[in-house]
Amino acid sequence: MIAIIRLLVFGFIALSVVYILVSIYSRSVRREKLEKAWDTDPAREGAATADRDAYIKAGMTAYEKGLRKRLIWLVYVIPMAVVMTTVYLVNYQ
Amino acid sequence: MWRYIKWGFRITLLLIVAGFLHYTLPQHDIVRITNTYNRLTTVGENWIFYSAPDTGTAESTTTRDIRFIEAVFPDETVSVYRNEDTGWIWPPYFKYDSSNLQAEATNSKSTKEAPEWVSVTHYGWRFPLFSIYPNAVAVKSVAGPDVSIVPWVNIVVLTLLALGLFMLRRMWMQFRERAIDPVVASAGEAWDDVDATADAARDRAKGVFGRFMAWFGTWRGKGR
Repeated sequence: MIAIIRLLVFGFIALSVVYILVSIYSRSVRREKLEKAWDTDPAREGAATADRDAYIKAGMTAYEKGLRKRLIWLVYVIPMAVVMTTVYLVNYQ
Repeated sequence: MWRYIKWGFRITLLLIVAGFLHYTLPQHDIVRITNTYNRLTTVGENWIFYSAPDTGTAESTTTRDIRFIEAVFPDETVSVYRNEDTGWIWPPYFKYDSSNLQAEATNSKSTKEAPEWVSVTHYGWRFPLFSIYPNAVAVKSVAGPDVSIVPWVNIVVLTLLALGLFMLRRMWMQFRERAIDPVVASAGEAWDDVDATADAARDRAKGVFGRFMAWFGTWRGKGR
């Protein structure tokens, strides 16, 4: 019984590390995309820095509520599904 | 000199990773099972190549009954598998039906005259010198000794592993581009003030190491 608890604890820690790294990466990619979208738009040539900051802030708020951010939860879901499938295939087939 | 050390290090690392994967990933043997039995075994220095006692039983014993499966390849060479629970420990097969597997294997026993071919899924190596046996994970009946099995699990696992490494690299590049490079750039500007001192220090270091490498070059008879 100890073994399965140990697996759950260490698995949770490992997946949390992955979750944190992936969310940082995903957020960073989104911010870069927003920055580039603003900087390459000819209509915004010479716009104020405050406007740019507001634009990026709005974009990031939208990201925090979006589907893409929620999809990162798959980091926890997929490995658990894989473990359950493995248990089924190895022991009950 | 450094090139050899670097490549030696890389090759060693590659061999360790490849050996680890070869040990851990499942393989299929088309064999005929000849015998199944238990043997009381005290696991010693080769403990790393053995799994755990059956899940749910006490976990501190070193002497225990281990189930074995003896088999013959179509070309008459033999193979012996242990049949142990991996439970919730490494490698992640989550196998706890060893008793059932042993019953299936016993049921598939056949003679040379009336052979019944099975595919034994297993991981691990057979290493007689250290009494190391591959661990059988599944036994399935197959049509004949010549069937070939597509290693889907290995394909999926290796693809995911490559994908994971690729993502890790992309994440690192992103982190460097966004977090490290700007800091280094501004630090570089600040350092311009004390550049002269740094340059001198660097030259001095280059001097000692350069002189050493020049001396080392004379050993190799190759002009530097």
